[in-house]
Amino acid sequence: MSSLNIIEMSAVTDAKSRSDSARGVRTIQHEVPILAVIIGLLGATIWLLSGNSFALSVLSITLLYAGLATAWNIIGGLGGQFSIAHSVFFALGAYVAGNLYIHWNVSPWIAIIPAAALAATVGGLVSWPVFRLRGPFFAIATMAMTEVALAIAMYAEPLTGGAQGLTVPWRSGLQNMIFLNKWANALLFLGYLALTLGVMIAIARSKLGYYLQAVRDNQDAALASGIDVLKVKLTGMAISAALTSVGGLAFMMYVRVVEPHGLLSLFDVGVKIALIALIGGLGTIYGPLLGAMLIIPLDYWLRAVIGSAVPGGGQIILGLVLILSAMFMKQGINGALKSVRSRLWRRSK
Amino acid sequence: MSGSHFSVKSVSKRFGGLVAVDNVTFELGRGDLVSLIGPNGAGKTTLFNILTGQLTPSEGTIHFEGQDIGRLKPNRRAELGLGRTFQISQTLTTLTVLENAMIGAFLNTNKMAAAVQVGYDALEKVGLAARAGETAGHLTLGERRRLEVARALAMKPRVLLLDEVMAGLNQTEVVRIVDLVQSLNDMGHTIIVIEHNLKVVRAFSKRVLVLDRGSLLATGTADEVLSDPRVLEAYVGKASA
Amino acid sequence: MDQIGNIITLGLLLGGTYALVSVGLNLIFGVVRIINFAQGEFLMLGMYGAYFCYAFLGVDPYLGLLLVVPALGLFGMAVYALIMKPLQNEPIMQVFASFGLLLVLQNTMLAITKGLSFSINTPLSQEVVALGPIKISVSRLIVLAASAAVALLLGAFLNRTTFGQAIRAVAQDRKAAQLMGINVQKTYMVSFGIGTALAGLAGTLLTPIYTMSPYIGGNFIMAAFAVVVLGGLGSVLGAFIGGFIVGLTEAFAGYYIDPSLKHAVLFVIFIGVLVVKPSGLFGKAGAEEVGLREQS
Repeated sequence: MSSLNIIEMSAVTDAKSRSDSARGVRTIQHEVPILAVIIGLLGATIWLLSGNSFALSVLSITLLYAGLATAWNIIGGLGGQFSIAHSVFFALGAYVAGNLYIHWNVSPWIAIIPAAALAATVGGLVSWPVFRLRGPFFAIATMAMTEVALAIAMYAEPLTGGAQGLTVPWRSGLQNMIFLNKWANALLFLGYLALTLGVMIAIARSKLGYYLQAVRDNQDAALASGIDVLKVKLTGMAISAALTSVGGLAFMMYVRVVEPHGLLSLFDVGVKIALIALIGGLGTIYGPLLGAMLIIPLDYWLRAVIGSAVPGGGQIILGLVLILSAMFMKQGINGALKSVRSRLWRRSK
Repeated sequence: MSGSHFSVKSVSKRFGGLVAVDNVTFELGRGDLVSLIGPNGAGKTTLFNILTGQLTPSEGTIHFEGQDIGRLKPNRRAELGLGRTFQISQTLTTLTVLENAMIGAFLNTNKMAAAVQVGYDALEKVGLAARAGETAGHLTLGERRRLEVARALAMKPRVLLLDEVMAGLNQTEVVRIVDLVQSLNDMGHTIIVIEHNLKVVRAFSKRVLVLDRGSLLATGTADEVLSDPRVLEAYVGKASA
Repeated sequence: MDQIGNIITLGLLLGGTYALVSVGLNLIFGVVRIINFAQGEFLMLGMYGAYFCYAFLGVDPYLGLLLVVPALGLFGMAVYALIMKPLQNEPIMQVFASFGLLLVLQNTMLAITKGLSFSINTPLSQEVVALGPIKISVSRLIVLAASAAVALLLGAFLNRTTFGQAIRAVAQDRKAAQLMGINVQKTYMVSFGIGTALAGLAGTLLTPIYTMSPYIGGNFIMAAFAVVVLGGLGSVLGAFIGGFIVGLTEAFAGYYIDPSLKHAVLFVIFIGVLVVKPSGLFGKAGAEEVGLREQS
């Protein structure tokens, strides 16, 4: 082999490794530093706001919904299965945690395991028959499930306290997940968000994530490519349900009083989660966070400012936001940002 | 021909009163390059759908490498080695070109890095490697057809079934795909294509099957089949006296 | 034995109500292939419309419907043209948009009425008729009669008039209808309007029976979905019969199982039918098909 050949060969390998990034496939390694920075920034925000109790409450709920929407996004955005039943998993998490804590003194940290397992199982069992339904019919079936869950929750008093709801006695301490300081609560929800983002990243940059997207984009092509469509949908749903229930668990220990309508409300929970993911950007990693940061503070503001003057005024505006986003912002904020970025990039070339 | 790959025996498909596929029997050997031709509505895509599992046969058996696959779902058949493209382009438009190919690659691996490599190799074979990072939705029809072939190739299939992969393409694109199919067969892939373009059929087929109104009208080499009066009649109708 | 008679009667009367409420939804779905989640709100608007006619114009609600129903039909056509038409090929976005519409309509009414609830007490609304041992409220009977009349008239309209046949043609095969010179968009718009007008009709006829609330639409929408799915999408006869199935199921479940669980039972059955036979009992288009059939 002449030295010229060796040079040629090394030039080829060089070109190949340089072209790796041009191939446009991002891996988990790419995402971890970004996640760390974002969590860090949010942590700093909590620290900055530590004097302001109201701001911390709003931030806590924002982080909670960001986490819930991220969990939903796994099956809803990435997988394209538009579930409005996620409030059921949210409620499951809350009720499991509440019951185990009240009756058996089980720490919520430990209760995470049975709550997530139950939610994953219920999610799988309940969605398995309806996964054959397409689009809006899947949505309707999930709506019906929420109604069934609501009826059961009102009826099963020993487990859920019925209409009265479940109350968790206040005993502060890390092992009880009940905190004296508002910033500690915010930090807990930040942890929840970090968990859901971590799982989303792990899925999105892996075989399961690609399979979910293939199922979303074209089920027949997915089948022909050897994908077990039902198994992929069930796996996505189980993970999404489990993560959602953890959010419900954290919520239970935060508010300490829950009742069926608050947990299972179609609009305040089920649709809101999907709306947040839509506005932020379906199927993207940080879209739900962006969506939550927009919608939750807006919701609070609307209720405070307009709601007092005009009853229901805030909801009217949210309804308009929903209509307008569906009509004009299908790609969400994330998509809008991406297209702005690519337009700028093209211009700078 | 070294042993049969695909063995289709007396396969029929009925939709209510309509007989779409009527008692079709043929075999596909390793390294074969077969064209399935016939007038519109002859049942060619239906036959493909039966072979790859989108439909189950009303009668008859399908054996693939000795195994009866007639009741298996499409994804199971894909796992066994059947790779297929569709008449109406089914690229995954929100993913990139490379990611589309990777979907096929994941059939044989769970690791991202391996899927990227196999996907990229498949793209190189169809000449789309330079477009790896682009969104698949931006590709032209010809490029999307090639991308689907890449996705099927990334599955490392034993048999490739290509359904009208050249429909709607211009001359240059047709030539590209003909070369691609030929080179894939030269590399050892067993291929069966549905094709309307008889020039193309003549150019690369080792064997031709003619389907008319659901039944197998004739089989043989391209020359034999295309000069068979029954075949001409099926396409053109009874010649006037 | 008496009890069963009562239950069946209640079920039939409820069924009449559900059938009337669902006919419009069924039409919109069968023709335009849109699921109008805000259908219950058009019913609510019909109720309030009848109330306003009564309170401010002194008009009996049954007469007020002559004003309210066409108004809601026009409103529906506007909603289609402005919101639904642009979203034709995006079923999930339609879901979002109709939810948004639901929120807007509910809360606008809440803002206008400031949370006060109303009910209408006309002489007719108190009347009760006795059938043997069973007592039947006249207003519910009127609803039952109306739903039968609507089903018949709608059926006649769809089968005998030119426009009705155009609607059926578009429902069967949009492209073929277009090739025959039918203005598909106009057909969609009018069908949507007829659907919402029918919801308004149901609303006005229900004013003597229910207390008004901006949220009353929610009481009916899930039942309406159940009716449409059970009876079969796109079939007028199916929606009619589906209404009775739902009404009877609710009545029996309420008595034999538990009143608070009757909705749960209904929805479990609903999900079951959706899964086992998506095209419903009489349906022409099934849930599975919706995903496959495009609207444009």
